[in-house]
Formats: sequence, structure tokens, C-alpha cells
Amino acid sequence: MENLSVVQERNRALAQRINEEARTNPRSPYAGKFVGLANGQAVVVADSLDDVVEGLEQIESDPRRTFCIEAGLDYDVPQSIWWGL
Amino acid sequence: MARVVWPLRRDQPCVEVVLSFAAGQEVVRHLLADTGAATARAGFELILAESDCLQAGARPAQSVSLSGAYVGSYRVYVLHVRIPNLGFGQSVRSVGVPSVPPGFGGLAAFRFLNRFSYGNFGDPGQFGLEDYTD
Repeated sequence: MENLSVVQERNRALAQRINEEARTNPRSPYAGKFVGLANGQAVVVADSLDDVVEGLEQIESDPRRTFCIEAGLDYDVPQSIWWGL
Repeated sequence: MARVVWPLRRDQPCVEVVLSFAAGQEVVRHLLADTGAATARAGFELILAESDCLQAGARPAQSVSLSGAYVGSYRVYVLHVRIPNLGFGQSVRSVGVPSVPPGFGGLAAFRFLNRFSYGNFGDPGQFGLEDYTD
């Protein structure tokens, strides 16, 4: 079995590619979907996060080897949180 | 249509959620209800102490960038959140942060609150949520 940090990096890299595809191509199968990754592969595409989690639980028992992304969001735009300021 | 209300906490609106830790333990967290926190299309719904996120499953999701009270890129985790009296129990994404608002276990951002009808429902001393279903 691959080293955990290697798997996590592969998941993050694939998630970034999926999100870029979803953002640049509205006809992408990932656009607007929740996508579950396990061990560096996209294994679940669903309309809800619950469905992705359910699918991932059947495929990989270690949650650290999985990854979830809602494809099509701009994750680089800072979200403002103002409490205490 | 179910409704649940909580008294203001430190004179601020709050919601009460139940987290399931990996060890089988259930814990209650009172979250500052902040409709001005993030947007309806943010990549997260809650902000919790990272230690809570890790104990609640540690399933990673896409990181997000924050500004204001938190600055920079933060890890996001998927965890199961329940509000028992509302019949709510779903997977929710939470940012993991090193510190949370004093007196609270974290923060419920707009995307989470926007799942429900929310407000004081005619009593200025409380805050509550109501689901949309009949």
C-alpha cells in the first residue's frame, strides 16, 4: 500500500485538475457535482456530499486516503469571516 | 415542519450541533450563527476547532482561503453533523482552525444556516432554525 502522504498529494493534485476542468468546461461530467477520490482516483460522482461519503466508505476504510471536492467552485477567492474584528 | 430554538449565548445567536467522534463519542458544540460569514457558494458550512474536525473523522476536502478573522489557506474536513430536534443529520464540510470565538465551539456560516429558515421567530431572546419540509 502506498505511503499516506503520497496518496494525499495525489488526491489533492487530482482534485485540482477536476476542479479546473469543471470551471473551464460546463459540459464536464464533474461540473456542479460532488466528487469523491480514493487513493488518487476519482471513484464517486454524486449530487450530494452524503452520497459521496457513502460511496467512499464502501471503497476505502481509511478516510485519510480519501478526498472530497465540490467541483466548479472558486476555492482561491477568500471567504470573509468577521467575528471579533 | 420542525423548528428548534436556542437562547442567545453571550447575547449572540447560536445553533447547537452534535458531532460524532471516531471513538463513538457524541459531543455537543454551540456555534455562533453568523449569516455574514462566507457565501452561499463557499466550500464549507462550518468553522470548528481543527482538533474537533480530526476527532470527527478527518476525511479531507478541498482547502479554502479565508480573510478577516482568519487569514490564509485552511484545511477543510467532511464530518457528520446532527441537530436531533430538527431531524437533521448530514455530511457537512467544516474548516479546521486553531481558535474559535470565545464561548463558542465554532461558527455556523451562511451556507449552513441557509439550509433552513432561520431567525428569532418573534422572540428577541432566542435564535432558531426551521426546516423547509412540510
